[in-house]
Amino acid sequence: MPDRIDYNILVRMLHAAVQQVRDNHQNLSRLDSFGGDGDHGTTMLRAMELLSKTIDSSPKQLPQLLHDIGWAIMGVDGGAAGPLFGTFFMSMSEAAAGKDSLDIPTLATVFDSALAGVQKRTKAQVGDKTMIDALVPAVRALRDAPDLATALQNAAAAAQSGADSTKNFKARFGRAKNAGDKSIGSPDPGATSVALIFRGFYQGFHSHG
Amino acid sequence: MKKFLNKPVNLVAELLEGFVLANADKLKLAGTNLVVRTNPKSKNKVALVTLGGSGHEPALSGFVGYGMLDISVPGEIFAAPGPPRVIEALRLANRPAGVLFVVLNHAGDVMTANIVMEMAKKEGLNVKQILTHEDISTGPRDNPDERRGLVGALPVIKVAGAAAEQRRSLDDCLAIATRMEANSATLAVAVSGATHPCTGEPIATFADDEMVVGMGQHGEAGTGSQKLASADKTAEIMLPMLLDDLKIKPGEQVLALLNGVGSTTLMELYLVLRRINQLLAEKKISLARSLVGQFLTVQEMGGFQMFIARMDPELLRLWDAPCNTPALTK
Repeated sequence: MPDRIDYNILVRMLHAAVQQVRDNHQNLSRLDSFGGDGDHGTTMLRAMELLSKTIDSSPKQLPQLLHDIGWAIMGVDGGAAGPLFGTFFMSMSEAAAGKDSLDIPTLATVFDSALAGVQKRTKAQVGDKTMIDALVPAVRALRDAPDLATALQNAAAAAQSGADSTKNFKARFGRAKNAGDKSIGSPDPGATSVALIFRGFYQGFHSHG
Repeated sequence: MKKFLNKPVNLVAELLEGFVLANADKLKLAGTNLVVRTNPKSKNKVALVTLGGSGHEPALSGFVGYGMLDISVPGEIFAAPGPPRVIEALRLANRPAGVLFVVLNHAGDVMTANIVMEMAKKEGLNVKQILTHEDISTGPRDNPDERRGLVGALPVIKVAGAAAEQRRSLDDCLAIATRMEANSATLAVAVSGATHPCTGEPIATFADDEMVVGMGQHGEAGTGSQKLASADKTAEIMLPMLLDDLKIKPGEQVLALLNGVGSTTLMELYLVLRRINQLLAEKKISLARSLVGQFLTVQEMGGFQMFIARMDPELLRLWDAPCNTPALTK
């Protein structure tokens, strides 16, 4: 397994994340129909198709690619998801400035920055049934791993169990909060999207090695 | 779902094309699907810009035109536009007189607005923001962050837009918008749901004899679910909650706005307005102005938003000032 993520490995990781959302977007929309208006899967699919197009059009340089992806996703015009997932990638780019590859401490810093960026945009905390429930444990899992493969594997698993945990929570943010108790019983679509993206990151990295 | 649609992916672009065709004397598209005036306002007047999801026609692009908005940035169905097109709109509107940026309090709209306001500040754009949040059922008055922005955006845009046409300064326009907003309250009642035009998923479901007043969940205003009541009785349930929220006293003047959200008929809304007038008269409150129509809809949802605002002589003058937009002409 490589001990650094360079531009080419990052592109594989991103393509795998796109594929995860393509394969699961109908389920994301179904989850959103319990509390939201049932279009989260469509929005995420549009966001990921923009991501995919940006890989082709952006200069082949790691921080620039992350920046351009973030700005493209912000333009998805799909409510809060665009600014949140766009901020995620743009904040990664800020922490990756001047680097053409990421070793494990840098990767942890880059994802810390992504989390901090998203948390600047939403007051949601762990337990509020949002993407934060998957993002916080995923980023935490990255910090103490011995190598990149383990780090990304742990992050994917932590994101998944974070997303699963939202089944038991009552929505307190966004449109879903209006559903109140009706939101209990199914996982949050935003948290599920985060889990899919981290699963893609791990698969994309793994397929390289 | 029985709707006349083409491909969902093209829905908003096609909607905008038709919308500006239908109002070609007032509106056109500019840049990346921004809705702008056909005859732009003079550059020495404050410009008004807003953003918001589509699927609520005629809002919000229907308020673009003389006396109201300069630019509307429509998002996808029920979803705010992201920052790229909104910053494009603010750059287009930017001028020494300044830009008033009207934002309705919904999570996606506010998130985009916050990002765009940071960018505008960095770029030195002359922009000030007004947030509308007057839905008394989603939060108490002392916690306005929780209150959603509903049809109350219309009177805010109307009075601030009139002030802008009268060459008032950006600070004046903001102060007028803020005063209108602070004296506004809306309560919604719903009787039947709608379907999302892209996914076909139901937005809300109701029993045949059910009506839901406000959210009624966390002790905020509203009764929640109850049996469908008559027009008179519905007015009797809703109006006191709005008057109480605003602490309207005898002798004061109010504006009443009834906004049908889709399938509720104007006939029904006129019945409700009639009863509002009687109830206000009993309390010695003057119904100074009223407006009934479909301004901010949610597809074929049944129900309406009842809006009440305390008016002062200046707000009334600005409310009465001329305007010429697809949704409102004076």
